[in-house]
Amino acid sequence: MLRTSIRSVRALGSRPVTAAAGRQWQIAAARRVTVSGQRSYADNKKPSIADSTPAVLPSSETLTSPSTPPPPPPQTVPTSTISPEEAPLTPPPAAPPAAPATPPPPPPPSQPRRKGGFFRKLRNYFLTLTLLGALGFGGGVWYSRINDNFHDFFTEYIPYGEQAVLYLEELDFRKRFPNAVNKVRARDAGEQVKIPAQSGASWRVADSGEPAGRQSSALSKVAAVKEAVKPKKEPVVEVKKEAAPKVVEAKEPAKVVPTPVVAEVKEVTPAPVAAAVSAPKKKPFKAPEVDEPSRWPPSSPIDPLAIQDAAEPVVQDLVRMLNDIITVVNHDGANDKYGATIGKAKNELNKVGRKIRDIKAAVEKDAAKQIKLRVDDFDRAANELVSRIEGAMSAQETQWRHEFEAEMERVKKSYDEKVKLIQDRERKLGEEKASNRLLEQAVELQRQFARDVKKHVEEERDGRLSKLQDLAAAVIDLEKLTTGWNDVVDTNLRTQQLHVAVDAVRASLEDSQHPRPFIKELVALKEIASEDPVVDAAIASINPSAYQRGISTSAELVDRFRRVATEVRKASLLPEDAGVASHASSYVLSKLLFKKQGLAAGDDVESILTRTQTYLEEGDLDNAAREMNGLSGWAKTLSRDWMGEVRKVLEVQQALEVIQAEARLQSLKVE
Amino acid sequence: MPETSTTSPTPSRAVARPVSEALLNEKWDLCLSNALIKSTLGLGFGVVFSVLLFKRRAWPAFVGAGFGAGRAYEECNFSLKQAAKEIKKQA
Repeated sequence: MLRTSIRSVRALGSRPVTAAAGRQWQIAAARRVTVSGQRSYADNKKPSIADSTPAVLPSSETLTSPSTPPPPPPQTVPTSTISPEEAPLTPPPAAPPAAPATPPPPPPPSQPRRKGGFFRKLRNYFLTLTLLGALGFGGGVWYSRINDNFHDFFTEYIPYGEQAVLYLEELDFRKRFPNAVNKVRARDAGEQVKIPAQSGASWRVADSGEPAGRQSSALSKVAAVKEAVKPKKEPVVEVKKEAAPKVVEAKEPAKVVPTPVVAEVKEVTPAPVAAAVSAPKKKPFKAPEVDEPSRWPPSSPIDPLAIQDAAEPVVQDLVRMLNDIITVVNHDGANDKYGATIGKAKNELNKVGRKIRDIKAAVEKDAAKQIKLRVDDFDRAANELVSRIEGAMSAQETQWRHEFEAEMERVKKSYDEKVKLIQDRERKLGEEKASNRLLEQAVELQRQFARDVKKHVEEERDGRLSKLQDLAAAVIDLEKLTTGWNDVVDTNLRTQQLHVAVDAVRASLEDSQHPRPFIKELVALKEIASEDPVVDAAIASINPSAYQRGISTSAELVDRFRRVATEVRKASLLPEDAGVASHASSYVLSKLLFKKQGLAAGDDVESILTRTQTYLEEGDLDNAAREMNGLSGWAKTLSRDWMGEVRKVLEVQQALEVIQAEARLQSLKVE
Repeated sequence: MPETSTTSPTPSRAVARPVSEALLNEKWDLCLSNALIKSTLGLGFGVVFSVLLFKRRAWPAFVGAGFGAGRAYEECNFSLKQAAKEIKKQA
């Protein structure tokens, strides 16, 4: 709505300024503030439209439609028959259209019931269609009063929507402000078409005479001015055309220059002349018209004739003079007197103008001829120049070719020289290489000869030297022999010492009544042996406790065996896992056993013991130990210590025997 | 009783090391002394009990001595069997 109002204001300038201003102000306020005031008001329109004054908006709408609104009001008012019923309230005018629309629907359905038939159906269909359309349209109009957005849409896209809405708004406005409506009406009634024609600033303030005469004269004058301007424009074009060639033909500027200058002069002058002519002409026309209408106007038309030849300043001056005279005559009112003379003068002037034109034409012809001549000359000169240039170019070309060939030859020569030089150098290089190779070969041959000589000399020398070497080898052998003999003597001594040492050890073992450590003797023996592996191994085999504590003698061993034998006999009858009872029984029963003698056969403990005793008595420690080793269980456990003693003794004896054998072997080796 | 049992093995070991043939005798000595001590202890307990509880009857004393002797026998048996096992292991 707001937008449309603005549009309407712009369109109709004739509207009261105050109203427009008010409207604009309101719109501005609404836009600036954007407070819900205006908006809310639009929403609240439905319930309380009568109270609120912002009816300005509808009024604006009415104004926007200047062409259509006047007719519709009378038509629509009668159609809306319901409005009188609800008129007193003056509520939303949109509501009434909706109300009447609703009642009609019932009738259409009643019609189709009565009769069937195609036409009837068609008619009913159209009726319903029109009814529905009317309903929709009315609703749209009504809703557009309420909703701004819908209003915009409705007025824009629905045909006659805008008119309808505007009409309704106008109605509303009129109801609210009957006086304002009258005014508007009166103004609307006034013809609006005339205003644009009369409006606008007119050039003439005082005179409000007949416009027809003035207009006709003005038109003719305008045409004349146009004609005058046209011929003047042509020369300008010509000048331009000439200017283009002028640049190209720089040879003849003198001739061409004058013409443009003249043209420029012409250009400059005509404009003021035309103005001058037009300005004076207007006033003279008026004067005669005021005095004696339609009498003297013929006199004035004579002037334009002079304009045809007015290009020349002389003619222009003459024309001006004549015009002045004419004006003077006119003013004086002596037209009758001087009419004829002035006519003559005009004719003369025309003649003069024509003459001048002729002269000009002649001059132009001459100038054209001269120009043509000049152009021809120039063409000739250009041709000559071109031919000369071509000749020069060809001469230069030939000269360049010669130079090029000479240069080529020179280059060729220089390259040939270079090639020769290179070839010479290569040849020299090859010769030098060959000579070098020959020298190398000579050197090699010399070397080979020297080698051969050397070889021969060496061979001869070797023959003699070999004998010397044999002698040296024999001497060395002899030396070795002597040293070997020394070794033999040494080893002999050593073996003797070894024998002595072994004897000392044995003596120390056998002499003692009690076990005695023989570590000193063993150390001596080891030293004498001087790291003999066999001796070392033999000594290592002896239990350290043996030489640290000494070993028991055979007598002691026998004595101890007797004690051990009694104990072993006690446990001789023990079973595998014996308890107290079995021990006691074996102790008791062992006493009842018979004692054997000599080498008794059998694996029982008693026979083993007897055999051992026999061996011991014979002095065969080794066998005795073997026999005792055959025991098992308690018997073995009881005889363990004795077995250890015997083993020690045996070890020592064996080691001594080994050492002795070694000593003997060494003594044998030496021999 | 525990005191005697703990004291007995130490001397046996000390003696057993030097001489292997005395091993069995050592054990026997230990067993006998053990039997004596335990039987006497049992006898003593039996006598005390007989005096205190059983109106000086003889059987509690015998029973006590028997308990002691039985105990000693069992210990001796155990030690001998242990020794036999050790011998077996060594063999």
